[in-house]
Amino acid sequence: MPAGHGVRSRTRDSFSRPFRKKGYIPLSTYLRTYKIGDYVDVKVNGAVHKGMPHKFYHGRTGRVWNVTKRAIGVEVNKQVGNRIIRKRIHVRVEHVQPSRCTEEFKLRKVKNDQLKAEAKAKGEVISTKRQPEGPKPGFMVEGATLETVTPIPYDVVNDLKGGY
Amino acid sequence: MPFVKAQKTNAYFKRFQVKFKRRREGKTDYRARNRLINQDKNKYNTPKYRLVARFTNKDIVAQIVHASISGDIVLAAAYAHELPRYGLEVGLTNYAAAYCVGLLLARRTLKQLEMDDEYQGNVEATGEDFTVEPGETRRPFRALLDVGLVKTTTGNRVFGVLKGALDGGIDIPHSEKRFAGFNKDSKQLDPEVHRKYIYGGHVAAYMRTLMEDEPEKYQSHFSEFIKRGFEPDNIEGMYKKVHAAIRANPEAKKSEKAPPKEHKRYNLKKLSYEERKAKLIDRLKALNSVAGADDSDEED
Repeated sequence: MPAGHGVRSRTRDSFSRPFRKKGYIPLSTYLRTYKIGDYVDVKVNGAVHKGMPHKFYHGRTGRVWNVTKRAIGVEVNKQVGNRIIRKRIHVRVEHVQPSRCTEEFKLRKVKNDQLKAEAKAKGEVISTKRQPEGPKPGFMVEGATLETVTPIPYDVVNDLKGGY
Repeated sequence: MPFVKAQKTNAYFKRFQVKFKRRREGKTDYRARNRLINQDKNKYNTPKYRLVARFTNKDIVAQIVHASISGDIVLAAAYAHELPRYGLEVGLTNYAAAYCVGLLLARRTLKQLEMDDEYQGNVEATGEDFTVEPGETRRPFRALLDVGLVKTTTGNRVFGVLKGALDGGIDIPHSEKRFAGFNKDSKQLDPEVHRKYIYGGHVAAYMRTLMEDEPEKYQSHFSEFIKRGFEPDNIEGMYKKVHAAIRANPEAKKSEKAPPKEHKRYNLKKLSYEERKAKLIDRLKALNSVAGADDSDEED
């Protein structure tokens, strides 16, 4: 019999619940709120059968474009042939986690605003741009003894002693 | 000892998945909790309040709670052990006391939210089904009844709490099917019977039968009632006074207990990440200094 290509084909492992985490899903998944424009990760929860996305979207990150009673609309990029399409899917909240991809950016934004406000109060000009990591500083090597290694001239007699 | 095959091997324990802690304790029904807490996503952060009614052997706990990820937040709470403040000292876990606790909780939350003038609720408890009508400025405070793990039979005391909260002015979706006095055959609530229960009429009836048939048992069973002068005839008047007192001043009183004093610590305090790292650095330094001393000894 040939392999089927149904909607949930080849999802035996990716949709299964992890070891010793089966059964009831913790209620914090239902208590989270999502606003339009948030970034979310799509991660399928095999215990909930309704509102499951297609297996392609498992592990993708997208932005929220719609919020309904029990589900969230997520806009995900998908490469189709030679172009990338922005696909809009609706997913139940059990299959969605808040994404941390923008967390570092948001923290930096807050810190930069604070630094700029402080600099403005003092009247100095600062740059909040991130700089790439430069070359490491130089240092003196300590406790090193110098040993000069030179090759010895080839001694035919010594080498052939024993062999030959 | 005879050879017995070990039932619970190491493999059994390795694969065992524990249930949620509160399920193991047998305190929370997660299926019900899920349905009570789940808020529509397009209502974002609007809290969904539940009226939690729990009965212990000697006390009644009624709380208005809403859920959050870091734990449930209690808006207001009322206990049966507060009822002595309003003049009710005995029978603290019966249907009438449950009604009082529900009423106290409702008036307390409405006063806290400054809605108590607008939503008086049902001042005269008649036992009929009463639903709060929307007022002028604000919509009524809405909560959902959370019974916990009790069996919801007709006439259960949790519905006494529900009726008290309804008459207090809180909007709780309900049906009169489970109030005391609902007739299964005619499928109708008899408000007279319900009113009897709200005012402790069933307790008074039992008192009367005991007085006639077994006076000794009456003395022993209702000794506290007799001590405070509660006859079967004036029980209703007593509860009416309690209701009036509750409506007059439902505010919670802060207890004057001193904060518990600190106890001596018997087990080691867990160190923080910085403390542990500092300890490690000290240990390495000590090791290095000892090793340095050893090396110099060997060289010499």
